[in-house]
Order: sequence, then structure tokens, then C-alpha cells
Amino acid sequence: MKRYLSHPFWQGAIVIVVSYVAFEWVIGYVLPVIGVASAPVPSSVILQYMLTVLVGIVLYMSADEARWKSFKKPIHETMVARDRKTLRGILMVALPVLIGWLAYQNVRPSYAAPATLRSVHPAPPNQLTFRGETIELTGLENPLHEEGSIEEHLAVGKRIYVRNCVPCHGDLLDGQGHYAPAFNPVPADFTSSGNLPQLTESYVFWRIVKGGPGLPREGTPWDSAMPAWETILEQDEIWATILYLYDQTGFTPRTWEEEGEGGHE
Amino acid sequence: MRVLRRGTLGTLGTLALGGFAILALSAAPPLSAQEDAAAAGKVVYDRWCAECHGETGQGDGSAAASMLPRPRDFTQALYQIRTTGSGQLPTDADIRFAIENGLPGTTMPGWPNLTDGEIDDLIVYLKSFSRFFGQGPAPEPLDFGSDPGGGPAAIEAGAAAYLTMLCEECHGLSGRGDGTSAPTLEDWRGLPIRAADLTEAWVLNGGSSVEDMHTRMLTGLDGTPMPSAIDAMNSGVVSPDEVWQLAHYLASLGPREMPPLREVIRVGRAEAGLPADGEEEAWAGVEAFYFPMSGQVVQLPRNFAPAVDGLWVQGLHDGSDIALRVQWNDPSNSPDPNWDEWQNKITAALDLDGAEPIALDSAGAPTARPPDAVLLQFPFEPPEGTDRPYFLMGDAREPVYLWTWDSETGVGAGRGRGLDSVEPLGEDPVTGEATWEEGRWTLYLRRSIEVESDGLDFAEGAPMPIAFQAWDGSSAEVGKRSSVSTWYYILLEPPASSTVVVTPLLAMLLTGAFGLVLVRRAQDRRRDG
Repeated sequence: MKRYLSHPFWQGAIVIVVSYVAFEWVIGYVLPVIGVASAPVPSSVILQYMLTVLVGIVLYMSADEARWKSFKKPIHETMVARDRKTLRGILMVALPVLIGWLAYQNVRPSYAAPATLRSVHPAPPNQLTFRGETIELTGLENPLHEEGSIEEHLAVGKRIYVRNCVPCHGDLLDGQGHYAPAFNPVPADFTSSGNLPQLTESYVFWRIVKGGPGLPREGTPWDSAMPAWETILEQDEIWATILYLYDQTGFTPRTWEEEGEGGHE
Repeated sequence: MRVLRRGTLGTLGTLALGGFAILALSAAPPLSAQEDAAAAGKVVYDRWCAECHGETGQGDGSAAASMLPRPRDFTQALYQIRTTGSGQLPTDADIRFAIENGLPGTTMPGWPNLTDGEIDDLIVYLKSFSRFFGQGPAPEPLDFGSDPGGGPAAIEAGAAAYLTMLCEECHGLSGRGDGTSAPTLEDWRGLPIRAADLTEAWVLNGGSSVEDMHTRMLTGLDGTPMPSAIDAMNSGVVSPDEVWQLAHYLASLGPREMPPLREVIRVGRAEAGLPADGEEEAWAGVEAFYFPMSGQVVQLPRNFAPAVDGLWVQGLHDGSDIALRVQWNDPSNSPDPNWDEWQNKITAALDLDGAEPIALDSAGAPTARPPDAVLLQFPFEPPEGTDRPYFLMGDAREPVYLWTWDSETGVGAGRGRGLDSVEPLGEDPVTGEATWEEGRWTLYLRRSIEVESDGLDFAEGAPMPIAFQAWDGSSAEVGKRSSVSTWYYILLEPPASSTVVVTPLLAMLLTGAFGLVLVRRAQDRRRDG
């Protein structure tokens, strides 16, 4: 084992395998499991990454004469040594087949949907209109923190949420309501650390008030089924629902001070 | 002064009483473990359950009126999903099963966020809503016997038992919930209830396995018209083995899980010509794509209890025409006076979210019987990039091209600029027809791939956006109260191209030759050296 680990050829091979595993599976499938927002890498991008890795390995290996020699040795041996005839034969068939298969993957007719890129949290406007009334979003705080009883606001928010939001966003606030399978993109998961804790209450207010139709034109298609709730709910009902979302998930909203430092993703 | 003194005295009195109360409480024995659990269960209940099931457990929470079936009324202790005999209370494990797994096909989800301990406490609290629990011995599960096994023979015997047990009276000959009694079914509250569509096992309340089906048949679903099979077994109408065979038959009626969603409808080339209608055998060999549908819950008035929950779509083309077959389950061939009572009950039971209910005449019959309908929508202009119109029939900025069908006027085409803005297109090039059989609509649509007069052009090999809507007239679904889908794609298979074969072969040959040359040179050099 140690012999392999210290041999340049096998070091190169290990780097290639590890990089492929990281690009193909770790980024797309392992990171989301441990709670980091991520998505599978498109195969064309993986190909580019792998070429970069390959060039890097060759550059590193050829930078030192002795290392380059011992890196080439197993390859050369396989091409000429008498006792490697079988391995040579297998590679002479397997490599062309692999290349042929890759070529086929590239030219075969594709029935995949066109790739769409979505910014999950697009930049909000500075102000919005609520049924004609202009509201400044910058620096806007949830007015319900300052008035009335928080318990009553939460009760209102819960009633609004269960009546209106549950079919898509779910009783558990996890974006898995009973209609969620019918929507593409899927409804937002409020229990994800990538959503509510990253946003100010005013941002959530904007997304609720304007919904899918109010998303900025750049970066379409949005295809969001989220209603523009200004047509259905009152402002206070929306603010109460926002209080409920944070209370029920246990997250705290981003504040305007933090906002100034970081900005949206 | 006097007033003040009386006030002071009053305050003192209150304080004294309060003090006595505190003394009395602290002197009282500690709450029993059962009461502790119920108190802890109430916290969970109030946080997660009360908004639907109601603070007093009567299934009358603030959101209940938009749901059919309604949330469970715990005060009645009528539980559908049990392992105990008909009319008996559920075991704690039964209640736990429903909480953990939810009731598929209803608005009740599973609750993986609750811990085992929280569910234990919750069960104690749920039972405290009804005085029936705690009286007499704890309920015991039935003896379900053992499964004699499945296979084609068992399924055939099960199909016979399906008729012997009169299942088809409610569930229909094909199991789609379209039996002759289906329009009359009510739950214990007198609310309309669907006979389960057994071909969509993933929406069965009590699970979709053979064991689940067998259990539901033996226990019956209390509070619904679904009886227990035990009486039929005891009187010798069916044997225990036949009920197991029936369970195997039911499980064979359709997929257990909802079919996986695929975003692109693949429309293959019909080598032997396009089918002339939706009934032709040729369709059996064509790949079918399933699209789940949601209620239209975006614009008022919304539909929180849609009747059509999914569509199957198939397509073929021959280079000049495209033919689509759309199938969906609907137990009623609307308009059908047999479903008048159903339509009235749905109208009365559901919160229509501001929609005008269909009025009744003096004899109690509805003044309108809406048709069943489906529409397919496409972008009106060829899509640029990935931009698509608004999924609810477009908007003023970007209209959509509609293929419409309803059971009264048939197939047509239209231009949509929003849910309530549809303008029929005079010379519509879309033709087709629909047939209804045993609880299923089959809609056949056909059109030229390219039509000069309009903007819709199905270029082969280019994905075309497509979205759907559906209505069940007998469930009083009209206008915005529909089922909807978001955008998917439809793609016409291009003619077979030689590059698919030539390019990989060429790549293989070149690689092989290059390898050979390399090896040969290396060996020559070694021999020379």
C-alpha cells in the first residue's frame, strides 16, 4: 500500500479518482446531506474540471526529472513488457470502447429538459407597491414587533399559514405540502438553514407580497407558482405570518446591520 | 376614599384567595404520569395539530372547511386506519402509525419532526378528547391470518372475489371509484366522500402494500361507507384466503408509488402511421408520462380540494402531424344528473373561497351542470432561451396557445392571457375527441406540427414548453377552481441520424490506431536500444 502511495503514477491516479468522486458526488449529493446548499455539477463542467486536474498532474509530474521518469515507468512497462501482454491487450480494447462510449454520450439525442439556472434569493428592489401604496424596503422592520401582543400575532400568523400556505409549503414548513409534487420548482423549505436565517423580514415580506409574478425579469425562468399575496392577504396578516415562520422554525431573521456587511447570496 | 378603601379591600381579598390557592395547589398530590403526558401532548397538539383538528379536537380547525375529507374529529373516536375490528377503538400503535405515516391522499402529512416521546404524549392527549377511551379492556388487533401468496392465479381469484364482495358497486369495475353507488357516498358527518381509486394506490389513506389492503378490508374504515369483510367471511361468502387474494388483486391494479416525474414528454416517430383515435392498440406500446396536478391555489377563488390529481400523457408524430393521448381518472362523466346530489353536497361542504355556488332550483336540482374539461397550454411565440409565459394561462404581456377540450363542446384552440381571459381562435387546426369509460377519460388530440397561420411550431428535437389544467364538472369545478400543473416540456424525436453511429465508431477507431502506433513505437525503440 505504502509503495503505491509514494509512487508518482499511483499518486496521479488517486488524485484523478478522488477529484472525480468529489465533483460528481460530494458536491451534488453529500453536501446537501450535511446541510450545505449545493446542486449536482453538469457533466460538461465536470469534464472541464477533470481536464484541468489532468493537466495539473502532468505539469507537477514533469517539473522534476526523477519524478517524471518514475511517473512514466509503469505506463512504459505496460506498453513494452512481455509479462504484461494480457493487461496490454485489455487496455487496447477497453480504452477505445471507453472513448467510443463517451462520444456516443455526446452525440446521442437528448431528452433532457433545457438546463435552467435559478438564483434562489434574487436581489430585492428598494421599494415595492402594496395595492398601490409605496413601501420602502430598505431598513424596513416588521411593525408587529412594536405593537400588540406577540402571542396574538403568532396565532394570526399560524391561522394564515395553515389556511393558505400548507398545501405547498407543508405542515412541517419543509416545502413538502400535499401539492408540492405538482410544482416545479418545488416550494421553498423554511426549515433549511439556507432560507429564513439568511434573509431579513423585509425580504420575506417582498417575496410574499409579490410572489412568482413579482420576481425580477433578469434570470428567468422563475416559473414560481407562489401567489402574489397582496391580492389575498392584508399587510398585517403577512407580517404575522412572517413572525410565525421564524417562531415555528426557531430561526432568527437577518438584521439590517448584518445586511450591510454581507448582502444577499 | 370609600371607593379606594373598598378597592383596597378587594385587592387584599384577591391576594389572600390567590395565596390560599397556591397553598392548596402545592399541597395537592403531584399530577399522575398520565396527566403529565396529556399536558405535554397538549403542547405538541396546540403547536402542530390544532389549526386543522381544532382546539377541542372536533376536527373543526380554522383551515378545516377547505378540506375534503375533513380532519379527524377526535371526540368521536372514529378512526379509519386501525388493526382492530369494525366499530372498535384503535390501538395506540394504530394512532402512532397514522401520525408517523400520515394519511396519503388527504391533507394529513406524516410527522417525522416529532420524537417518539412526543408522539406518545400526543396519543395520550388525543385519546383524552373522547370518553370512549379508558373504558373497558384495551383494544386488541385482529388476527389477520397469513398470506397464502400472490401470483397470477391468486390475482384471478381475487378478481372474482372483487365481484362476489360487491366491491364494484362503489369502486367500479376497473377500480377507479366510479361504481354506481359512488355519487351517493357520505362519511359519518354526511359529507361527500370518494370511493377510493384503487388504481392510484399511492393515495390510499391506509397504505399501498398487499398487507395494508388486506388489513383495511378486515377492519373496514370506520366513519366511511367502507365495511369490514369479516361478516362476509363469517357467513361463508368468501374464505379468508380469498380476501388475501383480493388484496393481491387490488395491489395489481396499478403502481404502488406515484410514478416518478419526468420533465420531458418524449414524442416518438410512428413508423406505421399515427393512430386515428385514442382507442387504437398502438398506444399500448407508447411510453406514458404522469404529471401530478395541484389545486389552483394561486388566484381567488382557489380550489383546495381538486378532483383531478394527475394526468397521463403519450405522444406520437410522423414528421407532419402530432397526436397526443391524455388520460385521467374521473369517476363522473359530467354532465350527468346521477351526480347532481354529489355536486350539491360538494358545493355545500367546501369553502368555495368566494366563488359563486351553483344555485339550486325549487326541486333542489342544480341549475347548472358544468362539463369536464382539460386544456393544454404552449407558449404562443416560439420560446426564446428558457423564458416561458406565466404558467396560469399566460398574462397580458405574454399570451399562451391553448388546446381546449370540454365534454360539451369538444376540442378547440384559444389564446390565453390569464386565467379569466381566453379568446377562441376561429380557424383552429386542432382536432380530436374524448371517450369516457369506467371512470377514465381518454382524450385524443391531433394537429399539424407546423401551421402557417399561428405561432405554434413543434420543431423536431427542440423542447417545447407544455402545461396542463383540468376540471371535474360534477365536483362543481368551474373557472379558476381547477387543477393545474406548472411547465414541462414536450419533445418530438428527430429522424434517426447517422452521426449517432458514425461518431463513436470513428472515435474508437482513432483511439485504437493511436494506441497501436504508440505501443509499436515503444517496443521498437526498446528492441533497438
